[in-house]
Amino acid sequence: MYCFLSVSHKEAAVIGLAASLLFLWPSPVGWSVEPVGKPSREENSYQEEKLTADDRDHWAFQPLQRPAVPEPKKTDWARNAIDHFVMARLASAKLEPLGEANRRTLIRRLSLDLTGLPPSLAAIQQFQQDPSVDAYDRLVQRLLASPHYAERQAQHWLDLARFAETDGFEHDKVRKHAWKYRDWVIQALNRDLPYDQFVRYQLAADELLPQDTASRTALMFCLAGPDMPDINSQDERRHTLLNEMTGTVSSVFMGLQMECAQCHDHKYDPISQADFYRLRAVFEPAVQVKRYVSVETLLEKNAVTSASHLMIRGDFRRPGPVVEPGFPRIVNGAAQKLPAAKPSARSSQRRVALARWLTQKDHPLTARVMVNRLWQSHFGEGLCRTPSDFGRVGADPSHPQLLDYLATELIRRQWSLKQLHGLIVSSATYRQAGRPADLALQEQLPGQAQERLQRAERLDAENELLARFPRQRLDGEVIRDLMLYVAGTLDTQQGGAGVRPPLSKELVSTLLKNQWEVHPDPRQHHRRSIYVFARRNLRYPIFDLFDRPDANASCPRRNHSTTAPQSLFLLNSRFSLSTARRFAGSGLRATQDKTQFVHWVFLRSLGRPADPQELQRSVEFLIQQQRLTEAEGRPLDRLALPDPVPAQMDPYLAAAYTKLCLAIFNLNEFIYVD
Amino acid sequence: MSHFSRRNFLLSAGGGAGAIALAAMTSSSGTAAEPAGPLAARPTHFKPRAKRVIWLFMHGGPSHVDLFDPKPALLKYAGQPVPESFGAVMTRRDVARNPLLPSIRPFHPRGESGLEISDFLPHLSRHADDLCVIRSLHGDSVNHPQSVYQMNTGSVLMGKPSVGSWVAYGLGTENQNMPAFVVLPDPGGGIKGGPPAWGSGNLPAVYQGITMRPGAAPILDLQPQPEMSVKQQQSTLRLVQEWNRKHLRQRREDDELAARVAAYELAFRMQSSAPELVDLAQETATTHALYGLNNPATREFGQRCLLARRMIESGVRFVQLYSGNTGGWDAHKNVSQNHGDYCQRTDLPVAALITDLKQRGLWEDTLLIWGGEFGRMPMSEKGTGRDHNPWGYSVWLAGAGIQGGRAYGATDPIGLRAAENKVPVRDFHATILSLLGIDHEQLTFFHNGLDQRLTGPAEAQVIQEIIG
Repeated sequence: MYCFLSVSHKEAAVIGLAASLLFLWPSPVGWSVEPVGKPSREENSYQEEKLTADDRDHWAFQPLQRPAVPEPKKTDWARNAIDHFVMARLASAKLEPLGEANRRTLIRRLSLDLTGLPPSLAAIQQFQQDPSVDAYDRLVQRLLASPHYAERQAQHWLDLARFAETDGFEHDKVRKHAWKYRDWVIQALNRDLPYDQFVRYQLAADELLPQDTASRTALMFCLAGPDMPDINSQDERRHTLLNEMTGTVSSVFMGLQMECAQCHDHKYDPISQADFYRLRAVFEPAVQVKRYVSVETLLEKNAVTSASHLMIRGDFRRPGPVVEPGFPRIVNGAAQKLPAAKPSARSSQRRVALARWLTQKDHPLTARVMVNRLWQSHFGEGLCRTPSDFGRVGADPSHPQLLDYLATELIRRQWSLKQLHGLIVSSATYRQAGRPADLALQEQLPGQAQERLQRAERLDAENELLARFPRQRLDGEVIRDLMLYVAGTLDTQQGGAGVRPPLSKELVSTLLKNQWEVHPDPRQHHRRSIYVFARRNLRYPIFDLFDRPDANASCPRRNHSTTAPQSLFLLNSRFSLSTARRFAGSGLRATQDKTQFVHWVFLRSLGRPADPQELQRSVEFLIQQQRLTEAEGRPLDRLALPDPVPAQMDPYLAAAYTKLCLAIFNLNEFIYVD
Repeated sequence: MSHFSRRNFLLSAGGGAGAIALAAMTSSSGTAAEPAGPLAARPTHFKPRAKRVIWLFMHGGPSHVDLFDPKPALLKYAGQPVPESFGAVMTRRDVARNPLLPSIRPFHPRGESGLEISDFLPHLSRHADDLCVIRSLHGDSVNHPQSVYQMNTGSVLMGKPSVGSWVAYGLGTENQNMPAFVVLPDPGGGIKGGPPAWGSGNLPAVYQGITMRPGAAPILDLQPQPEMSVKQQQSTLRLVQEWNRKHLRQRREDDELAARVAAYELAFRMQSSAPELVDLAQETATTHALYGLNNPATREFGQRCLLARRMIESGVRFVQLYSGNTGGWDAHKNVSQNHGDYCQRTDLPVAALITDLKQRGLWEDTLLIWGGEFGRMPMSEKGTGRDHNPWGYSVWLAGAGIQGGRAYGATDPIGLRAAENKVPVRDFHATILSLLGIDHEQLTFFHNGLDQRLTGPAEAQVIQEIIG
């Protein structure tokens, strides 16, 4: 990423030579590439500025401490400590929470949120009829234990890991084993691998568990980004890989945007160019490139390493002063150093040192950054709304104490991500309604809830204080799974190589030849979205349309765009229509008449029965469509017949059912969660 | 709206364009209502010279020393290696020591200006007085995808927003029934680097290039599947919109939900406006003949040139047209055959486009760009071919009130490297933006705590002599 000045340059504090490092280096030797200009005198020295008290004066760099849980006046609403923090801020803004949502709303929200799949009809019924006070908590536990949990949660991590299964650039070659990393993430999350270990394995599995070659799959995180194996200059290729990896590691695990420090000291944050190259030096022994061969994982063979350099202006042709591997100073208050590897060791042991340093209990960023990501996955926004930038130009957290409480709680609970998810979704804050109509208990004075909502909208338009649940659109991957699920065609097989479902020829033609080989077994085309082959140069259409990131850089938060091509896809695509046919086919098998069919379709797709008006309109629509289609006199093979179509049913009526199902896919209620 | 407040607007809308799409999408191009939202036409930083762009991208790397940059010295040194005085040069296929190959076809002074163009391009030569050839562009990579990305996004790495996306983001568009940035790919096959070349990077998806094609299905999923008639679809859409509006009312007119209702209206309008736009039957026989639609050699590219004209005429902001399949102009083996073929396909249609823009009064405020991702080496490869040359190559600009009939900058005597008035790609981009009334330093997008811009972190210059 580019970074440049858009505000006035932070004047560099002048520090005496004694307090700074002065590097000198020789002119570059003859390179086999286009010559670069000689470094100027000014460039020939690099002076690292010492950190100042002012540099350290930023919330995210402060030591992590467990805050006291506030005791606001009104606590009967609260279900756990989270609510005390939320209530304290609401009270100071003179706002009140909207109140608990009804069970129908909660089960759809919770199921889609935790597993990416809607609740079954039986689950909805059971939950709505369960009189016990812990019905919700048992639902949470059941969903967290579901194997589908990680098939949803892994996508958030894969966005951060800029995961795709090809190299990108010209040949966009397939990385045969890339899917194993996706499966590793799914398995790790499903068995609730503690987050500290989750981090350590992805940085240093080989050094931590030298005997366990299978665990090395986790290392593929580091090199999951784009690569250009055939570029002429392999020095440039390795330099690009290392810099990208360094930037990704710091932004994902620490929420520090170090990438721009590859060219110059960071303009806003106390991160020097030397900090960048010290962190990069941790990875250098593990990255070797061979022309025409895709990189997949880190590899070290012995403890001997060559010197690492700061690269002048981030130019691969211009090595500057030698740097030692090290941690970014601003979050390394105790000035911890990497231990030297024993000469007999099989690796430099640098990454394992980094991994341990990052997952120390007193690291100021690791836990804070991760709990903020978890919060964002449930509420759409983090407590800090710049989830990969906890630096000075990042956003201030809306609830700094809650963030710290959750971070300490993550560590206290042995870094269990499932427990943290459980804690968050069990809060009264999460269980709130987004609008009065969804409240579990209708209040005695009907206008009260509406008034609270209007007040909250007025005083807190961005909903930072969470006086209501924020409505959220589903991601493209979830929309596809949801469509297949309601149609009854979702294949829930787990794991394995990525699958290529059919793609329109117009899209295939933008690729090189043979880059999209459709899986020969059509059942595989209905695997969950997480198993759809991730080609870097062409995102699968429904994912692309609904803002899947491009896997060229780590994505901490997706855009949420609303575009006409999204509507065209849901309304007109082959995928939509064929799925609607299956949806109608399943519905006709499960029901006896129009009324039953309409209720079944609504329940299955929206988690509620149709209201009388909707029922009436649906039946009218079926009749209208039947007449219209009949009048067109279409042959049977030009009808959108349900799949399967019931014997003896009038084909024009049968096709009308498909169109009702197609309409459902296009409803805002279908792809938004209240 | 200034770009600064626009940026904040986008941010407050949740980092995406979603929540603010409503107004743009509800006001059709025919209404008097002032459109707002991500694609609304927006004021420029200063008075623009051009309102719209057509970029003819010659994929594969057309040879400057055979088309626009005559090098008599190559005749003199023919068959000899590059003189030592030129120093070592990095090449893609290790051709640095190969013998020099003179221009394949002769150059002649053309028009009143005497601008030299080779015999590969007889039709375009008649428009020499309209062209400003930049002979000193230079990039950073000898590889295709990196250079395709650099010409399109400013960076050799993938994933940055393309020029078309930046322009759509900065200026919006004048036709709310069409995408702001349209790409017309070569039907022969994908380019090296693929769709990320017209991607929107970190800019919201609404700004990415939308690929379109001539024929009945110009945009993906524009029409219902064959099992459904348009009437059936309309009746289905009515039901959808009825329920979506009710859902919206029950949720206090939430902006994002409202934007989706509007997006369906736009989708529906596009179903009729897009096929109409690509319907070349609406053009006269004379126009068909002008673009070479009657000749099998020129028909395909001619159709797309004509489409490009129809699009900008209807208010599309930025049209990019690719010539060349996956190999394209990449003449490693035989420049004469490869360029002979591609020039035959494109020369007449490009000349027709110039003529047509002029006769329709679009010439003065349309910027026409011609160029590839790099040029080609003065040395030979495999006897009659040439390798990639990013160190110095030619592109031309025309229209937009640019003074034609001249060359800006120069390569060295053999066409190996840019030598005089060198133009790095970022300066080229800054100049394009400037012609559109945009200050490249002010067109920024805030992402991950930093402002990004097309021209990147290094200082970029607008080249006033080109604009002049």
